[in-house]
Amino acid sequence: MDSVLIIQSLISGIMMGMVYALLGVGFSLTWGVMHVIHISHAAFGLLGAYLAYSLLQYFGVDPVVSAAVSVPLLFLVACGVYQLLIRPITKAKEVIVASMILTFGLAIILENVMVLIWKADPRVLTPTYASGALIVGPFYFQYPHLVGFSLSIVGITAIYLFLKKTYTGMAVRAAWQQPEATQLYGVNLYRISMITFALAVSTAGAGGISLALLNSFEPHSHNLWLIYLFLVVIVGGVGNVIGTAMAGLIIGVITGLSMAFLPYQWVNLVTFGLLMIFLIFRPHGLFKQGV
Amino acid sequence: MQKYRLVAIAILIVMLAAFPFLEPEVYYLSFMFSLFMYVVLASSWNFIGGYTGYLSFGHAAFFGIGAFATAKAASMLELTPFLTILASIPAGALAALVALIVGYPCLKIRGPYFSVVTICFAFVVELTVKNIEFLGGAEGIWLKFMDIPEKLSRSILYEVMLLLMIVTLSVAWWLDRSRFGAGLRAIRSDEEVAETMAIPTAKIKIQAFVLSAFFPGIAGGLFAYYLTYIHADVVFNINISILIVLMAMFGGGGTWLGPIIGAVILTVVNEGLSTFAQAEIARIIYGALFIVVTIFMPNGIIDFFRKKGSS
Repeated sequence: MDSVLIIQSLISGIMMGMVYALLGVGFSLTWGVMHVIHISHAAFGLLGAYLAYSLLQYFGVDPVVSAAVSVPLLFLVACGVYQLLIRPITKAKEVIVASMILTFGLAIILENVMVLIWKADPRVLTPTYASGALIVGPFYFQYPHLVGFSLSIVGITAIYLFLKKTYTGMAVRAAWQQPEATQLYGVNLYRISMITFALAVSTAGAGGISLALLNSFEPHSHNLWLIYLFLVVIVGGVGNVIGTAMAGLIIGVITGLSMAFLPYQWVNLVTFGLLMIFLIFRPHGLFKQGV
Repeated sequence: MQKYRLVAIAILIVMLAAFPFLEPEVYYLSFMFSLFMYVVLASSWNFIGGYTGYLSFGHAAFFGIGAFATAKAASMLELTPFLTILASIPAGALAALVALIVGYPCLKIRGPYFSVVTICFAFVVELTVKNIEFLGGAEGIWLKFMDIPEKLSRSILYEVMLLLMIVTLSVAWWLDRSRFGAGLRAIRSDEEVAETMAIPTAKIKIQAFVLSAFFPGIAGGLFAYYLTYIHADVVFNINISILIVLMAMFGGGGTWLGPIIGAVILTVVNEGLSTFAQAEIARIIYGALFIVVTIFMPNGIIDFFRKKGSS
């Protein structure tokens, strides 16, 4: 086997993995902090991708620049979704189940709204630099892939710094560890939950844009995205940002290597098979502690 | 009271069994067939998902295994229609066997982690079937048509599926009232405590899982014969897995009636919407239904009406 090819597919696997990690980070936070499994998370990511697509198509705005508009926009939308839909169900007997059913409904709605607006055809983001590539020795990297990859690194770092350095971020971490005690210290849990949820959705938007720079997408794509981000989050450990990033790397390496050595149709089989075995032996992820 | 209820159920069964003799249109027979099928799927999923709280998101795998095993047996051994229908029983047993093997390691994992491992399992089974030519491969399997008029063949499959539904619901009825069911409920409320109360949790979890795979396997076999052509994309579709869970939890998991109500409502609504509205609009309304029901009845429909009744 050609070693250049192996390294090439390893690197593209890692890039893909990091993008899934950015998509997964928010999912992991809502799950960890709020005990909400947000099935429409990837659908919001896809919405981010479509917003970037339209802004590029009609106004010629670069996806990275438009992220500065669509990510805050998604933040606001998510605040509304939290107040209207998520908050009422936090009193259910089993929040996880109720949230899964509710957000599953939300995902169906988002998907079909996207079909109505953007039609069901596959789309690609084609910024001005789409055809360019960076060539380093025998390797070559398409610019959109590099941009998507960098965007995901920036996104994960930003979320990490937010949680570690800011007051609100610390409150989020506290709410994850000791919800009752956090409340005693005068933290408004509802406000923290709303911020967590909205932040998660906006990172999904950024993740969706990154992923759209690497792959084509259509209104149904979020189902597959969701499965991958589930995997990234489980391997990394729920609520663990660094763990999620590491898991993105690991899954990237696995898919990259199986891409290089196996016929295409076996790649997913190997990925899911390995993950199943992994889950049986390390059900709580590779990295123990949360947030 | 108990007596009246039994009589009512008996009358309902007779009415359902007599339905094909009224010469209804094939459409209604097909619709009722899928309705019965979803009741079977949701009720059997309930054994593990509803009673113990181990939410399996891979139940389409058992459905698909039953479908492919039946189809493979029918096409390889050139079975007669009658034997093909019977072949769905060993196919269900095969699904149960797979559940036994997979359940042993997987049921040690709890909560959402179990859900994810079952998703992975369903994918592994689907991709294996797709990649191995002998098992059906990317082309799928064709079954021979029954050599009789369509309406008659549809009626036969209708009655068989009805029978399967009655058997499944009887088992569910027994389970709901048995020590076994009580043990499963104890696992749902607190597995550690259940264990200290000398409930063999590991054993009954596997039993419930195996049982919950058996009936979907048979249903899959009947479904394969009903479609006459099966493909991995159809029977292993993750949406089937999700739909089963939603039906059961929507009605109310861990109760006998809940999955029945959930399956009936969602099948009828889905069918009605797709007949009367544009596809996307129909899906949007369908999605909104989940949201509205969860907000107003977060613990399932059954729980909501029970509370109403008692207060």
